[in-house]
Amino acid sequence: MPNIDIDAPGSNQLFIGNEAMARGALEAGIGFASAYPGTPSSEILGSLSEIAKKRDIYVEWSVNEKVAIEAGSAASFAGIRSLVAMKMNGLNVVIDFLSTIILSGIGKKGIVVMVGDDPSAHSSSNETDSRPVAKWLDIPLVEPGDFQEAKDMMPFIYDVSEEFGTICLLRSVTRIAHARGNIKLGEIPKIKHKARFEQFLDPAAPMPTPIMCIPSPFRHMFQHMRIDKVREKFETCSFNRYVGPEKPDLLIVTAGSGWLYSQDAVNALKAEDRIGILKLGTLWPLPEKLVKSCLSRADKVLFIEETDPFLEGAVMEYAAGFSAESKRNMFYGKQTRHLNSFGELTPDAVIKAITSVLDIKYAPRDAEYMKKVGAIPQDHVMDRLLTFCPGCPHRASFWAIKDALHMDGRHGFVTGDIGCYTMALGPAGFFQTRTHQCMGAGAGLANGFGQLGRFGFDQPVVSVVGDSTFFHSIMPALVNGVHNHANFTLVILDNGATAMTGFQPHPGTELTAMGEPAAQISMENICRAIGARVEICDPFDLKNTTRTMLDLIEQEKGARVAIMRRTCELVRQKKDKKPYKMQINPDKCLGEDCGCNRLCTRIFRCPGLIWDASIGKTRIDEVICNACGVCADICPEGAITKEAVA
Amino acid sequence: MVTKTKGVGDLFKEVIDKGLCTVCGACVGDCPYMVFYRGKIRMLDLCNRTEGHCYEYCPRTFTDLDAISNRIHGMPYGGDEIGSVKRVVMARAVDSKTRSKAQYGGTVSMLLSLALDNGLIDAAILSKNTEDKLPSGFVARSSAQVLEGAGSNYMAYPALETLNRMPRDSKDRFGIVVTPCQAIALAKMVASPPEQRVNIGNVKLTVGLFCTWALSYGRFHEFIKNHVTPAKIRKFDIPPPPANRFDFYIGKDIKSFPLDEIRDYRMPTCAYCLDMTAEFTDISVGSVEGTEGWNTVIVRTQRGMEIIEDAQKKKRLEIKELPDKNLAHLREAALMKKARAVQAIVEKTGDKNDLLYLGLSDKLKDKLLAHKVTPQGGH
Amino acid sequence: MNKLAKDPINLVVAGVGGQGNVMVSLVIGNALVHEGYFVTIGETYGSSQRGGSVMSHLKISAEKQFSPLIPEGQADVVLGMEPVETLRVLKSFGNQNVITVVNPRPIHPVDFTGSGGGYPDMQSLLGQIKSLSGKTYTVNATDEALKMGNAMLANMILIGALLKSGLIPLSEDALIPVIKNMFPKAVAENTKALKAGTELVGILS
Repeated sequence: MPNIDIDAPGSNQLFIGNEAMARGALEAGIGFASAYPGTPSSEILGSLSEIAKKRDIYVEWSVNEKVAIEAGSAASFAGIRSLVAMKMNGLNVVIDFLSTIILSGIGKKGIVVMVGDDPSAHSSSNETDSRPVAKWLDIPLVEPGDFQEAKDMMPFIYDVSEEFGTICLLRSVTRIAHARGNIKLGEIPKIKHKARFEQFLDPAAPMPTPIMCIPSPFRHMFQHMRIDKVREKFETCSFNRYVGPEKPDLLIVTAGSGWLYSQDAVNALKAEDRIGILKLGTLWPLPEKLVKSCLSRADKVLFIEETDPFLEGAVMEYAAGFSAESKRNMFYGKQTRHLNSFGELTPDAVIKAITSVLDIKYAPRDAEYMKKVGAIPQDHVMDRLLTFCPGCPHRASFWAIKDALHMDGRHGFVTGDIGCYTMALGPAGFFQTRTHQCMGAGAGLANGFGQLGRFGFDQPVVSVVGDSTFFHSIMPALVNGVHNHANFTLVILDNGATAMTGFQPHPGTELTAMGEPAAQISMENICRAIGARVEICDPFDLKNTTRTMLDLIEQEKGARVAIMRRTCELVRQKKDKKPYKMQINPDKCLGEDCGCNRLCTRIFRCPGLIWDASIGKTRIDEVICNACGVCADICPEGAITKEAVA
Repeated sequence: MVTKTKGVGDLFKEVIDKGLCTVCGACVGDCPYMVFYRGKIRMLDLCNRTEGHCYEYCPRTFTDLDAISNRIHGMPYGGDEIGSVKRVVMARAVDSKTRSKAQYGGTVSMLLSLALDNGLIDAAILSKNTEDKLPSGFVARSSAQVLEGAGSNYMAYPALETLNRMPRDSKDRFGIVVTPCQAIALAKMVASPPEQRVNIGNVKLTVGLFCTWALSYGRFHEFIKNHVTPAKIRKFDIPPPPANRFDFYIGKDIKSFPLDEIRDYRMPTCAYCLDMTAEFTDISVGSVEGTEGWNTVIVRTQRGMEIIEDAQKKKRLEIKELPDKNLAHLREAALMKKARAVQAIVEKTGDKNDLLYLGLSDKLKDKLLAHKVTPQGGH
Repeated sequence: MNKLAKDPINLVVAGVGGQGNVMVSLVIGNALVHEGYFVTIGETYGSSQRGGSVMSHLKISAEKQFSPLIPEGQADVVLGMEPVETLRVLKSFGNQNVITVVNPRPIHPVDFTGSGGGYPDMQSLLGQIKSLSGKTYTVNATDEALKMGNAMLANMILIGALLKSGLIPLSEDALIPVIKNMFPKAVAENTKALKAGTELVGILS
């Protein structure tokens, strides 16, 4: 596959939305990009990092989103176009900064925050809609309706940012960001970036720089005025358009992935002559004149958008202002339950909403086929629960944590965090995780639980975090815990990568996003400097890891740390062969008998182990097994053996 | 079948959660789900089998004592307060080194050491104290190793775990030293031999220890640590009645505690045990009231007879008759333990027909309920 | 690029996380874009990479860009990398005309219910797949790939079999530049696997 900077203007490429946005940023002439990884936004910086050196731009995986946006803003302040990327959770982290940069304004060059929303929370702890932030904080917001727009909107929104001197938001959703489509490439400009932070050195000047958020009320008023001017520009923007008959029976107002679904649905229903679509690319401020003219085309209006009824609310709010001077529309959408305001849009949901509003009959499959579908035995399509990869160190870590907590016997529990290890709330991690909120929350909660001893609380609390999460948001919680003598154990699962989002580097790893040697930060040194006791263990050494955990959870007070260190299996297997030849001796395998009862396939549950009910023994699936060898230590009978491969 | 077998969930419900567990170790060692940790039986994962050895062999799940006694000794339970008796004697090791290391007369160490020497067994399952003075099971394969296990610290510990850990296909013949509750668990294993564990038929010699109660592994260890550095303790001793002391030997000094103070650290479950003399063994050994440096020995089986005779013949043990007065006192104390246990159980259940785990003939039950008990005494 | 008999052609690639589902849709998609078609690919991804059910939706058009998801019952071709996942996809997206290409090599689910019920009977499973498809092809891709020394080659074998099914507007030759681009270190074995796939495919009777 070509890199995103392929020098072939006019050619067609199959890019995911994130690559298209990254390409668009290159075509817009950015010189600086920063991000913290998070699905579905990670590939933006990921693809830029691959070509950063060649294109002479700076790209950084920042320690968290807040540092990313502040670093990116500095580039803008010094005259370099900059891109900041994050998922919607990251937007929450940067709200404080956003609420002040809208007052201070930006530098001479534009800055755009690309935020990836994850409707249905495919790979997230929540499915928050980012768009209300634009309305709340007065930030111009655009959202691409297809892959081409994902690229083409970038130069446009940088122009808006610079013309009006404000930071701008570009929202995309999973089905654009992570879907693939055709992209017709444009030119990447050759820019020699030159950075300088302008200051007014005259002592008589009222302020040494204009980039201040004070006096706030005055600057707040100014931001409102800017937004009104941006609205004017959006009225004629080509990313907003109406397609359909002059006077349709139904007007669909849509944006983002809803645009593609709406077209597909109209196509599937063969209702092109009955339905018109107003597709908006600039969502905030609302292009009111365009909206008003389209509302006059039809009585019935259906809103199709991901997650919250954002456009729906904004359009109805606006329409309420002129309802006296024209006929009233009938509005359909999430507020009328024609669509859900939770979960992602699907073509079927859109078809259903349209057929319901227009009373159209639609049956995708005939009754005879549906009868056969209904006859599929339930066990033929059994659920597949998510689990850790075969050979994943986390499975071993949670095995040791579980054993330690159960041996201790005081009903201790794990406060969870965000990463692959979030799956420990289910069977993958033996149901050990009992809380699951946002990044850093597990350690923060442990701080609170750790102070409840005075009220009779005697359960051991174990906060489990990943290495990247540690740098992102755990350090303040550990400082707090040590300082206030909170009673908890922090476990850092150090697999040497931000594994869940695609192995991005973090401050503890060897290379920067640019592929240059990084100053590697030692987690144990940080923890020890804070004053915490630190133990380091290899999770594949189950016995020692369990013993270490027991010793830590039995300590009576203070925040203490276990670092469970073992390279992510997906990273390891890129470099090395399988380390062992794994075998099962069926004569030794006890199966379901007393003394085992399928411990390996029923409790440990590595996907590489298969329960063969026909012979009442466990087998190894050689295609799946990564030969980590841990199950050989789990098996109580020594039936599973590992033999080192030379 | 001696017990209607259920699963681990029932074991917790009926035994462990009710405070009846003696940590004998019958349920741990060969099972990945159950472990002994810091004085408690813990479950690492849920084994959802509805029948398990853990339940089956537990001395505190329903135990038909007549059936077991018939099986081991060929007679119903309760005929004699001290169980089946072939011979009762006083004994002590001839070797003074053994005596000095041992509790009382060193008879237990000498019997096992002899069994290893004369080829009756290949390995002896014993306990020894860790550096921190916690009991831990080990396997002795020589007389020298047996001596490492001499002496007691009176704490309950899972001796049967060590047996359960032996490989299933082991050809070794074992001797084992057990408390009365452990002897009952072993007897249940003999009555219904496990298929996927070490062959119970390979246990060729069981030596029982007299026991009025055991100390709680966790709580008593805390007590020790609060008074002395455990590693400095050389030996623990409860001298025979009427001394009424618990002694810590530290270097050349002895630090004594009143036995009443130590009784606070008893396992509460011991109150529900009716076996003082480890009745389901080949040979049982205790102290001799009023006489230091000797053991009371009850020989119960033919195998017990053979080993005691061999010991006498090979001059490993010095043996003399136990005075009648002592034997009478022993019977009295054993009966008192039975009566106390049954009455304590009825007090707990509030129902004369609910004896928890005890399967007892009505005749014996009525006799024990009617027996007048005095407050609990020595060890 | 030719006008398509049906536009768009809807292809679902079904498998289990870790099998290489994304790679398969990328190979096919890139080759089609190279030939001038519009392709939209929607993927389930992320946490479902770890042992969960995964599928890719490919919409192939000579005319325009479509949305990344296929509506109920609208698949034209199903490429099943795993039998249970193939049936799962047919349940939602199948119809009486759909062409199914299936690799009958099971990937067992982790037993989270503790039932140990195991994997459904293969003959029954294939029977269901056949009854829900217009035409069903089987190809023992994993077995063949293991013979070739690398289980991952099963994916290229399956792509070869897919081409043989006739509906995807691609020739074997059209895939060679994509193979060279995506697997520069393993061109020969991937080309061999592709060819093997076109030869191994058999109709399920």
